[in-house]
Amino acid sequence: MNAVTPATATAPAPVAAPEFGLGAGAGAEDAGGAHRLRTEALTLAHGRTPVVRELDVELPPRRVTAIVGPNGCGKSTLLGGLARLLEPRGGSVLLDGRALSSVSTREVARVIGLLPQSATAPDGLTVRDLVRYGRRPHQGLLRQWSRADAEAVEAALDAADLHELADRPLETLSGGQRQRAWIAMAVAQDTDILMLDEPTSALDIGHQLEVLEMVRSLAARGRTVVLVLHDLTTACRYADHMLAMLDGRVVAQGAPAQIMTSALVRTLYGVESTILTDPVHGTPVVCPTGLAASPGPAADGANGTDSGGS
Amino acid sequence: MKTPLEPRSGASAGDGPAGALVPPPVPPPRGPGRVREAGTTAVDAAPPGTFRLAAGGLSLLVPRRPLLAGVLLATVLVAVGAVGLSVGEIAVAPLDALRAAVLGEGSPRDLLVVEELRMPRVEAGIAVGAALGAAGCLMQTLSGNRLATPDTVGLNNGATAFAVAGIVAVPTGLLPSATALVGAATAAALTLALSGGAGQRGYRFLVVGLGVGAVFGAVTNLILSRAEIDAANAAFAWTVGTLNGRSQTAVTVLEAGLLVCLPPAVVLGHRLGALRFSDAVATSLGVRVRPVRAAVLLTSVVCAGLAVAVAGPLGMIALAAPEAARRLTGPGPVPVVTSALAGAVLTLLADLVGRTAMAPLEIPVGLVTAVVGGPYLLWLLLTTRTRRTP
Repeated sequence: MNAVTPATATAPAPVAAPEFGLGAGAGAEDAGGAHRLRTEALTLAHGRTPVVRELDVELPPRRVTAIVGPNGCGKSTLLGGLARLLEPRGGSVLLDGRALSSVSTREVARVIGLLPQSATAPDGLTVRDLVRYGRRPHQGLLRQWSRADAEAVEAALDAADLHELADRPLETLSGGQRQRAWIAMAVAQDTDILMLDEPTSALDIGHQLEVLEMVRSLAARGRTVVLVLHDLTTACRYADHMLAMLDGRVVAQGAPAQIMTSALVRTLYGVESTILTDPVHGTPVVCPTGLAASPGPAADGANGTDSGGS
Repeated sequence: MKTPLEPRSGASAGDGPAGALVPPPVPPPRGPGRVREAGTTAVDAAPPGTFRLAAGGLSLLVPRRPLLAGVLLATVLVAVGAVGLSVGEIAVAPLDALRAAVLGEGSPRDLLVVEELRMPRVEAGIAVGAALGAAGCLMQTLSGNRLATPDTVGLNNGATAFAVAGIVAVPTGLLPSATALVGAATAAALTLALSGGAGQRGYRFLVVGLGVGAVFGAVTNLILSRAEIDAANAAFAWTVGTLNGRSQTAVTVLEAGLLVCLPPAVVLGHRLGALRFSDAVATSLGVRVRPVRAAVLLTSVVCAGLAVAVAGPLGMIALAAPEAARRLTGPGPVPVVTSALAGAVLTLLADLVGRTAMAPLEIPVGLVTAVVGGPYLLWLLLTTRTRRTP
C-alpha cells in the first residue's frame, strides 16, 4: 500500500506491504519504516510578517509531540508549514531528507494528515461521508473504493467511537462529537504523520480524554503525532516531546518533565506558577499562581493578533 | 524547580521516579484486533447509499440518490422535449413527435414540422440549459455561495452590451452571437483581472462580478436610449434571452463546447467535493487547490459564454438548476451532471410556457425565467440556511 511506503521512503520498505489500513502500523514495529520530518532554518510568513523564524526542529518518529506557547506565537503556522500548507519564506521542511516543497500534494497527503483548527464542512454531510473524505489521497478517478478504504473508514469510526452516529448529519452533532468525526477523518487518511491543531478545544474533559487517549493509541501503533495544545498540564501528560514556542522561535524543547519549569512558564506567558508532579502519572502539573510582576515577553511579543487560524 | 505534590494516603506516585514520562496504557478496546474485526464486517460493502462497480483493481462508486435523480430528470427531459416538439400551430401527437425526432419516421408533415422547425429549437434549449446548469453548479460550489452564477458575475450583461452594441451602435458585420461571446469573455476576463484571480473563497470574485455586470448593464441602457427605434427593436432579443431565431452555428459551437467541457467538469466536480472544505483541509486531502480552482472557473465561463452566445442573457437557469439538482441528489457529491439535466429541463419548460401561454404571441424564454426566477430568488434568499459547522 502506498500509504505505508510511498516512493519518497529512503528507508527500506517493510516486507510484503500489508493489505490493511490501520493494521499496517501495528505490524511495523521496526523503527526503520517511519517517515521523518524536520525543518532547517525554516522561516514562514503571512504576507510580509514573519511568523516563524529560522526554526530547526525534528519530530521524533512514533512519538507524540506537543507544541505549546502563547496566542500568536506561530504554533498553527508552524503546523501549516510542516504540512506544506505554507511555502517556506526561507529554509526548508525535509521529509525523509527531501524538500517537502518538491513532493506532490497528493503524495504529501498520503504521509501527512492535518486537521486544522475549526474546520467547516458543507451542510448535510454525514459523519461517514466526512470520514470517507479521509480516503481521498488513496483513491483515484477509477479507483474510488477499495477494501482498504472500507476498512480504514470502519476502523476510524471505531477508534473514534462513532459507529452509532455514523449516518447522522454533522450539524446535528454536539461540538465534541463533531470534533471526533473530524479526527476520525484524519485517522482514516492513514498517514504516518498526523497533525492536530487544538483538537481538544471546545471539548468537555471526558471528550478531551477520549481524544487524547486516541492520540496515544495511534502513537502506540506507530504513528507520529503532532498536537498544538493550550493546556500545559495536558501537554505534559500526553506528549513525549514538547516544543515551547515564543514569537516564532522555539525557546525550549525536550521531554516535558525536563523542560517544564516555572521559569519557562514565566517566559512564555508572563505567569508565575508552581510545578507539581501528577500523583498518578508522575508528569508535571502546571499550577498558575498569578501574573508575573514584570510582564513577560508574551504581552508584546505576539504579532498583535492571533495568527492561529492559518 | 518542582514541588512534588504530597501523595495522599493510598494514592500511588510510585509508577516511576518523579518527572519520568510514563505514557498512559493503551485502552484495550481500541487495539488493532478489534479494529480488524470491525473492518471485516464491512470489507466488501460500499458505503451506505452507494453501490460499487469493480473490475480488477479499478472501482467506481455510484451514489444511489444522484443516479436516481439523473434517471428521473432524463425521463422528464424526454417527456418535456416530446411535448415541446408536439405543441404549436400544427399539433403533432407527442409520441409521433418523438418517433419523428429520434427515428425519423412518420408522415411527411410531421417530419417537416418536427425535424425542420421544432427540433433545432428543442436541441438548442437542451444545450443552453445544460451548459448553464453545469456552469452554475461549478461556480456556486467553487465560491461556496449559491448566488455566484455566470449571470451574477457579469457574463450575461457583458454579452448583452456587446451584442447590442454590435447591432445598434457599431455595426460590425459579425453575428450577434459572436459579439455576445466576445462580450461574455470580456466580462469574465475583467472580473478575473479586477478580483485578482479566483481568490480565497470567491467572495471578492462575486462582488467584483456584480460591479462589472452593473457597468455593462449601464452601457447597454445608454446604447439603447440613443438608438433608432428600429435598431433598438432588433437588439431587444439580446437584452432578454430567447431561443427564437438563434444562430445554428452558435448552437453547433455550443454543442461541441459541451462535449469538450462536460467530461472534465464531471472530474472537476469530484475534486470540488473536497474543495467545499477549507483550503487547508482540501490541501491536506491531496487536492491542488489553485489549479483545480482555475480549471473550474475556466470551464464554467466557457460553458456559460457559449450558452449566452446562443440564447442571449438567459437568467436564473444557472441559479435554479443546481439548486433543484442539490435538492434531488442530497448532500454528498457535487451534482454537475444532475445540474446540467435540471438546466435542460427548466429551459425547455420555460420555452414551452413562453411559446404557449399567450400563443400565438411568443414570450421570450428569458422573460419567463425572469418572471418565475425572481420570486424563486427571493424565496431562496429568505429561506437560506446560514448554519455552518464550526
